Amino acid sequence: MGSRRAFLFALAGLLALCACEWDLWGIVTRPTVEDRVRDNLSGDPPAPGPVPVNPDSFRFAVFGDPQIKHDYLSSLGRFKQEVADRGIDFFCVLGDLTNDATPDEVDTVKLQLDRVGIPYYATIGNHDLYQADGWERFKQNYGPSCYAVVIAGRVKLIFLDTADGTIGSAQFDWLASELQDSSYIRLVLTHFPVYDGEKPIMWRLASDAERAKVQSLLEKYGTHYWCAGHIHGLRDTPVDSVHHLTCGAMAPGALDYGNAGYLLFTFADDSLSWEFVELNWQ
Amino acid sequence: MALLALLAAAGYGAAVPSVIVGYRGETGVESKMLAAVQADIEPASWLEADAGLSFNLFQNNGLGAAGVGVGVVVYDPAGFTLRLAGQHQQWNDWQAGENRLLVVLEAGPLFGFDAGFGLVRRVPVFGDMYCSPSGWSSGAAEWNYLYRLRWKFIRRESWWLRAGFSTYDRFTAHNPQQLPLEADGAYRLKDDLELVARAGTSIVGYSGGLVSFHEVELGAGVRHGF
Repeated sequence: MGSRRAFLFALAGLLALCACEWDLWGIVTRPTVEDRVRDNLSGDPPAPGPVPVNPDSFRFAVFGDPQIKHDYLSSLGRFKQEVADRGIDFFCVLGDLTNDATPDEVDTVKLQLDRVGIPYYATIGNHDLYQADGWERFKQNYGPSCYAVVIAGRVKLIFLDTADGTIGSAQFDWLASELQDSSYIRLVLTHFPVYDGEKPIMWRLASDAERAKVQSLLEKYGTHYWCAGHIHGLRDTPVDSVHHLTCGAMAPGALDYGNAGYLLFTFADDSLSWEFVELNWQ
Repeated sequence: MALLALLAAAGYGAAVPSVIVGYRGETGVESKMLAAVQADIEPASWLEADAGLSFNLFQNNGLGAAGVGVGVVVYDPAGFTLRLAGQHQQWNDWQAGENRLLVVLEAGPLFGFDAGFGLVRRVPVFGDMYCSPSGWSSGAAEWNYLYRLRWKFIRRESWWLRAGFSTYDRFTAHNPQQLPLEADGAYRLKDDLELVARAGTSIVGYSGGLVSFHEVELGAGVRHGF
């Protein structure tokens, strides 16, 4: 009886996996973070350039996880109104643009992001790799997944590819080189958080040694912010001199760790400040 | 550990010291040799204590980790043991460290299986405080779950093999984002001397559904009972 029950459980699990829209073989054989970083650093596709802003005062939004599903719902329509109301110059999307990375979802979220009507930057999340061609489609639509861009000669945005929950050897070296110039206010923007508070959860970068190494690197070079998605809600965890923020998600409705929303950064008087803007999904 | 040796020498219980050398590698993070000395003592049938030191070579050189633990057997037939342990781990090149307090309820071995479940208070420390085991406040402090399930699937008179997963050991407590797999075994060389070996890896990234093997740890050494 016990073995029969175990067989039925195993069968049910297998059927559930087969019924989901993930390409399981594609997930297993996907390009690793080392493969993707090698693509990124080859310069093809080229990294996006800086957007034109008023160098004395500008605003940008940061959010993650639109996670467009087969119903194609997101909060991006509401966000478009926010852009107009709050004078946002550009925005950054920190991965998980789609839920299953199907061609329809990929096309839809691209359309919705373009319709916001201002420039934006994106990096990749784990959900964007749930199909065999996930990385290729991401590259075609948004360019590289790890790159750096300097806005108005003052704020450096360093986009990191942590879609696998790890950073990898080549990207660690690249990150160290990008953090070195202390003349900029530096933000690391990526999918996975490093530290996010007290709760015993698993939505963080993988190993303790890796987290210790990242934090020591961020402190060594005086990095200001690590902004991440993956956790669907706002978290603000200052660790010594570094602010670890999870930025809220653009998926509709109340999510697992808070309401939909985004971080709004304002550069003025040669300093950068932030606030969380909650989106009321009604 | 010196205290355990003194207790054993004074006849308060049987001490089991061991010396292990090994390797730990994690892509993009660290690659180092390990050398550990550790000792276990059982002052009474219901009490266990252990301590150990681990040293790094070739990266983050010097002391790498220290651990002390005490276990109280609360129900002997099922091997229920309440274990309290303290750990300090440090990475000297990065000026980073972590202090941990673990509370685990363990059971077994029963039919070759042993299990454990508990919590760890994890307190990362950086900068000047990184090597201090007394730093217990940090913005990065967090609680994590701990779990273990292992099966000693071969038991012979002079050797045994075990496999399973465990998020904690004497010197480490893994992040919940990792699923650490391990296999270990022992071979009795003499009545009071065993050859021991362990291999471990961890699957990472499984909160995102994209899993990969990330970490390798190998070790071998001898354990001496007297």
